[in-house]
Amino acid sequence: MNLANLSLQLLTGLQIGAIYVMIALGLTLIFGTLGVVNFAHGALFMIGAYLGYAISEATGHWVAFIVVPVLLFVIGIAIERVLIRFFYNRPAVDQILVTFGLALVLQELMRWIFGGTNLPYGTPDWAIVPVDIGIGYYPPWRLVIVGVTIAVVGALYLFLRFTRFGLVVRAGMRDPEMLGYLGIDVPKRFTFVFGLGALLAGIAGVIGGPITGVTPDIGMAVLVPSFLVVVIGGMGSLPGAVLSGLLLGEAVSLSVLIYPPSTQIIIYLVAAVVLLWRPRGLLGARGVME
Amino acid sequence: MITPLYAQSLLREGAVMAAVAVALIGLPWFLTAIGGYSELATPIVLWGIFALGFDILIGFTGLLSFGHAAFWGLGSYAAGLMLLRVTDGFIPAVLVGTLVGAVASLLLGYLTLRRRGIYFSILTLAFAEMFYYAALSPLQQWTGGDNGLTGIPPADLCGIAMKGEAIYYVIAVTAFIGIYVARRIMRSPYGLILRAIKSNETRVASTGIDTRRYKLMAFVISGVYAGLAGSLSAVYQTYVPTDALHWTTSGQVVMMAVIGGVGTLFGPMIGAGIVLYLANVLSGVTAQWLLIQGLIFMGFVIFLPGGVVDAGRRLALLLSRRPAPTDKRAAGTVSVHPAQAE
Amino acid sequence: MALLEVRNVSKHFAGLRALDDVSLSIAPGTIHAIIGPNGAGKSTLLNVLTGLIVPDTGSVVFDGQSLLGLPAYDINQRGIARVFQTPEIFPDMSLVENVAIAAVAARDGSYRANFFQHPRALQPVREKAESILADIGLGAYLNTEARHLSRGDKRRLELAVCLAHQPRLLLLDEPTAGMSHHETHSTAELLRRLSRNGMTKVIIEHDMDVVFSLSDRITVLHQGRIIADGPPDEIRGNPTVQEAYLGGAHL
Repeated sequence: MNLANLSLQLLTGLQIGAIYVMIALGLTLIFGTLGVVNFAHGALFMIGAYLGYAISEATGHWVAFIVVPVLLFVIGIAIERVLIRFFYNRPAVDQILVTFGLALVLQELMRWIFGGTNLPYGTPDWAIVPVDIGIGYYPPWRLVIVGVTIAVVGALYLFLRFTRFGLVVRAGMRDPEMLGYLGIDVPKRFTFVFGLGALLAGIAGVIGGPITGVTPDIGMAVLVPSFLVVVIGGMGSLPGAVLSGLLLGEAVSLSVLIYPPSTQIIIYLVAAVVLLWRPRGLLGARGVME
Repeated sequence: MITPLYAQSLLREGAVMAAVAVALIGLPWFLTAIGGYSELATPIVLWGIFALGFDILIGFTGLLSFGHAAFWGLGSYAAGLMLLRVTDGFIPAVLVGTLVGAVASLLLGYLTLRRRGIYFSILTLAFAEMFYYAALSPLQQWTGGDNGLTGIPPADLCGIAMKGEAIYYVIAVTAFIGIYVARRIMRSPYGLILRAIKSNETRVASTGIDTRRYKLMAFVISGVYAGLAGSLSAVYQTYVPTDALHWTTSGQVVMMAVIGGVGTLFGPMIGAGIVLYLANVLSGVTAQWLLIQGLIFMGFVIFLPGGVVDAGRRLALLLSRRPAPTDKRAAGTVSVHPAQAE
Repeated sequence: MALLEVRNVSKHFAGLRALDDVSLSIAPGTIHAIIGPNGAGKSTLLNVLTGLIVPDTGSVVFDGQSLLGLPAYDINQRGIARVFQTPEIFPDMSLVENVAIAAVAARDGSYRANFFQHPRALQPVREKAESILADIGLGAYLNTEARHLSRGDKRRLELAVCLAHQPRLLLLDEPTAGMSHHETHSTAELLRRLSRNGMTKVIIEHDMDVVFSLSDRITVLHQGRIIADGPPDEIRGNPTVQEAYLGGAHL
């Protein structure tokens, strides 16, 4: 194993982590603001991948990259209005159950419409051939994923930090009740945030689909690691999600080099270690749902 | 000394268990009568045992686990491997499978109960997935990888091959014992404390109870039931699919419990019957059986969270023309100072 | 010797000094009131005493043994029981079951794997629960679900739950909050009756009538610090205390 190989593998770790991070960000936003754990979040990623395939087959990739996130935003809003908002006052267990049911329904719906086989969702033509990035040849699409994720994280940061709405979201993540007393229209905010979370999952799906594959079970397959990312990073902590996403992504990637049979289970081992050592998560706040 | 109160409760218990026995014996016949087939009774009772133990965890202790496929699956594999490689004895195979379920649930419970609420549920899902992936790849020489464990020989119990009718009755007896044990547990001081934990965990901790240990034990008890059911399933099917460890299996028992009615012990078993019966009937008609099941499940969560048992209760109340539950509530608001009633 | 000895306890919450070098002594068999304006740190102090919060510095010694770092259930098993500000009871269980849970904990300790114990063995526990409830005036509602009770009765129920342990020290967080004059009076009567068998009590209270009629000793907290500590007569005329309340309470 030489340095070049290692570097390329680390790069792949970034890409794997990037997808986890984007889904985890949506999960954390929704949980932090609405207090709902969205078990259907992976399904939103899956829908993004399916729509990405379908639309890109019809009108080319660029249209898909723009349209799919918007569609997911709308779908997210619809889900919140029609279903989620009736569960804000119900116990957490009920929220988990209903979103789990939704995930199952969405998954089977996709299977019904598209069939169960892996759809040939390819990258844009210019990204098919590996390019020389100095230390070796590397699939450019993976770099695109990393780049888009960085851009999204940056945009999210700017949005939360510097806009009025972002301020409201951050405040809402700390004290939703107070927000209501301040006369801020909480329900509308909730709807928007859920839509935003879905949009993030949609971006992840439309650009990640070519790498992860497009099947009905891809939703849950990315949801579980993303859940672990959130748990390890600390629920409600956006920096925590980014940090632990990178950590897990690298763990998976490096395990390919070090001990390939462990690749699928390495994230669980890492999670177990973090849990035993720091039950609250790497950057988690004290008392947040211990 | 037998007091009148004790005699009364003995009679009640006897009546309940007698009804259970009748139900178990009559199930195959009942299924044929409603358009199913009698062999469906075996998987129904198997999943019923699984769901029964699961109810102790979710219905009584209030813990939602999405990882119980781990114990069902590991129990299945262990029993299957016993039959394949060690002995064709029924009892050793099932015993080992149940034990494996118990140990696995002890380990997993210890790890996941370090967090509460939502975190706990997420972690159970995650760690069970770990077992699934481990069975698929690193451990495939033991588990048969993608193909599952095939060619399990029929188990032998005192010279009788465990298949067909014979195995149904053995499983039914096991279920009978399992139900009796579960009821005993829930009526013991232990059961009282588990219900208290579900009701108000803060108060329980401040009342001198080490909630961690009680929760862990409830988790292990449910793991034992899952491992037992899984072992029996391996014997019955003579095959262990990798799906036994998949999250969809965990999801199935959750759906059965909710549809049947959590917190009732019998509810989840009824739920198992309903789900398997519908699956059997509908999968002959459409390929979208799972989609329909998902929608039914969501329907229950949204509109009838108490499940079929609760719906039945309400219907019975309605039919017996007693005052509606809301009136009953108002009449029942008691206070030493009525003016202060909330 | 003091039953409970608190020395130099401090607790900070992100810059806010909730408790600042608090020391006090609770003598056995007495009723000791802790008063002070809102935000003075009274509930925080109770949380420290019951193990729900770990102080930054200081010591808490109960009957000669340190309580610091012990889990809440252990502290309860050693003889300290707490009535919360908002009644913490088991809403979907009957009154008898509510108290029975505490009685079981008292009988079996913090954990016992008695899941096969026959329901018959619960009979003495039920009887004990019923007698405690009758004693406290809730005997008519034994099998009612606790959620149907009025707030005042929920607090009585919580008291009954605590009493099942026969605690040596009972901590009450604003026991008469939200009560009518009549209810306050009967609660005070109840507390007085309970102290006849020597149970030590620490009460956080705002109702000064209750405080002055019941307590043997009063500690006054203000902004996390103790500003006065002594028998009622001493506190009554204390100018520092009056200033702290600034015309709020009528001493």
